[in-house]
Amino acid sequence: MENNKPPVGQALLAAAMLLPGLAHAESPPERGAISVKYLYYKEDQPGLDRVRVHSPSVSIMTPVAGEWSIAGSATVDDVSGASPRYHTAISGASQMDDLRKAGDVTITRYLPRGTVSVGAAFSTEHDYRSRALSLQGTLVSEDKNTTWALGIGGSDDTINPVNNLVVNEGRQTLSILAGVTRVFTPVDIGQATYTHSSGHGYYSDPYKLVDNRPRSRDQDTVLLQWNHRFIERDATSRLSYRYYHDSFGISAHTLLAEWVQSLSHGWTITPTLRLYSQRAADFYFDPVYDAKFGAPFPPGYVFGGTAFTSADQRLSAFGAITAGVKVAKQIGKDWSVDLKVERYEQRGSWRVFGDGSPGLAPLRATSLQIGFTRLW
Amino acid sequence: MNDTYTAAFSAMGSRCEIRIAAAHTDAARAKANQAINEVRRIESKYSRYRADSVIGRINAAAGSHEVECDDETLALLGYADTLYAASEGRFDITSGVLRQVWDFRHGIMPQDGALDEVLPLVGWNKVVRHGHSIFLPLRGMELDLGGFGKEYAVDRAAEVLTGLGVQHGYVNLGGDMRFLGPRPDGEAWDIGIQDPRDMSATVASIPLGRGALATSGDYERFIEVNGRRYCHVLNPLNGMPVSYWRSISVVAPLAITAGSCTTTAMLLEEDGLDFLERSGMGYLAIDNEGRIFRRTP
Repeated sequence: MENNKPPVGQALLAAAMLLPGLAHAESPPERGAISVKYLYYKEDQPGLDRVRVHSPSVSIMTPVAGEWSIAGSATVDDVSGASPRYHTAISGASQMDDLRKAGDVTITRYLPRGTVSVGAAFSTEHDYRSRALSLQGTLVSEDKNTTWALGIGGSDDTINPVNNLVVNEGRQTLSILAGVTRVFTPVDIGQATYTHSSGHGYYSDPYKLVDNRPRSRDQDTVLLQWNHRFIERDATSRLSYRYYHDSFGISAHTLLAEWVQSLSHGWTITPTLRLYSQRAADFYFDPVYDAKFGAPFPPGYVFGGTAFTSADQRLSAFGAITAGVKVAKQIGKDWSVDLKVERYEQRGSWRVFGDGSPGLAPLRATSLQIGFTRLW
Repeated sequence: MNDTYTAAFSAMGSRCEIRIAAAHTDAARAKANQAINEVRRIESKYSRYRADSVIGRINAAAGSHEVECDDETLALLGYADTLYAASEGRFDITSGVLRQVWDFRHGIMPQDGALDEVLPLVGWNKVVRHGHSIFLPLRGMELDLGGFGKEYAVDRAAEVLTGLGVQHGYVNLGGDMRFLGPRPDGEAWDIGIQDPRDMSATVASIPLGRGALATSGDYERFIEVNGRRYCHVLNPLNGMPVSYWRSISVVAPLAITAGSCTTTAMLLEEDGLDFLERSGMGYLAIDNEGRIFRRTP
């Protein structure tokens, strides 16, 4: 197979589009699309650059017509940076150099009153391998205004940290999803989704000292979304609220607001604001260390003990704000370009319900994504 | 509710059909008639059987003088040029002259030496084009837009209907189809693929709501001599019928693209599958042993 030859079908299609009367052919919605995205992500804390990620990705979708649509994507991440150790102390940062490979494929079968999708995904790093399978079905009501969705998924992860703290540890997770989407008026769509997942296995962070977490975790999430179309302004608002609770003791609230504004000449601008607040895990300890052993050991730490304990900043109590803007431009019928910039900041003092965890430096991150999509 | 209006007619030597959603039969008939008129316009403008058609005038001037063309004709010749390049010289609109020695209607093979006489008259690369004019340098050379003229008419008729607000229906000219939208109830049209060896059966079907579907086969017109089938698709390089594929169907956004891909793949014979894969379009191909190759669009 000579794959380096030009895509001859596209050349023929482009030539046909030059024929008189066909240039204004309405574009069938079942067109294929190929998009190339490039993500740059940088996390920093005062006086410290932590993680940078450069991630090019290509995704292809070819649903021109027919019963099956296959969507696939492949990503190779290049991760280079210092991985956070305990809390945010930074002496002797361990160097991390990961090449991550990931891919997923979903096959959807379209039925008269709904869809059935089967998906598989895998991801490997040199110390981590994850495989997942999912099955999801949707059912549309007689009047086509209500869609119910039910899904089940399982994943199997294997962890082999380079420090050999544990060998061949694993984690198995089973998730179920139930949701309903309803078109209330021609300009209002509401959606409610509940997800429960239950997992057991190794949840601790092998690269952090004094990190010992329970071997099972139950997670519940409720997501409510409302989209409203403002016809006169040629804009759409998207509002959502998410509640999360898990058996580690974390509970979290997320509010998201987006405004999608169409402008002339194919431009779209989408400002985004996300507010987040979470309660700490029951076994998270503040950066107050044992008087005898010092950092990173919590007060009263017992070596070899079984008490759950973690200093992972992600398990602390904090609030976070993400502000971003996405600008997209449709170029002709076949091309679109988008640029997204987001700034994230997390602080203990920003927690909304109750006090945040003390003694942590704010965590900030910037991400920049540029993407090109070609339709055919 | 959900009624469709079907106009059946014959054009370009084929059985044709326009089917559109209709609340009122009279309105639907009026719309279909405008599309049929567009098909007839293209047929009479480009028919090789009419001396007064554009093609008739170009062919009559072969070896003598150049002919001025209008914009539509120039665009079609430009498309033919792209096809010639994309098919490595197999899709050649000057190859119609080979039919003078292949008599499919009466089932007669070419006589010895007959092919050698007409082959020099085949070759798009010999045609002289500059500005708005075209010149066939050899007396006896012929242009024939039959290779994609019907599919062009399908697309133009579909554009007429779309312009009249038709959102559900399709245009079918002899099996080359373009879809204007799904059935009125939102379901796709189910389209069968002709079994190339059993004219009363189909080998496959595909649901389509938009885009286009075209099929080429070795069963349309052929001669059988000593158990071997010689079909009407002729290789311009040696003048011989191709024999690798029984049938090729392609799904593409436009009928002209779908049709060009099926014919080119037929002409490329064993390399046709590679071409189809590279085309990026969906296809279903049946080889001369009955094996099916396909790719979901």
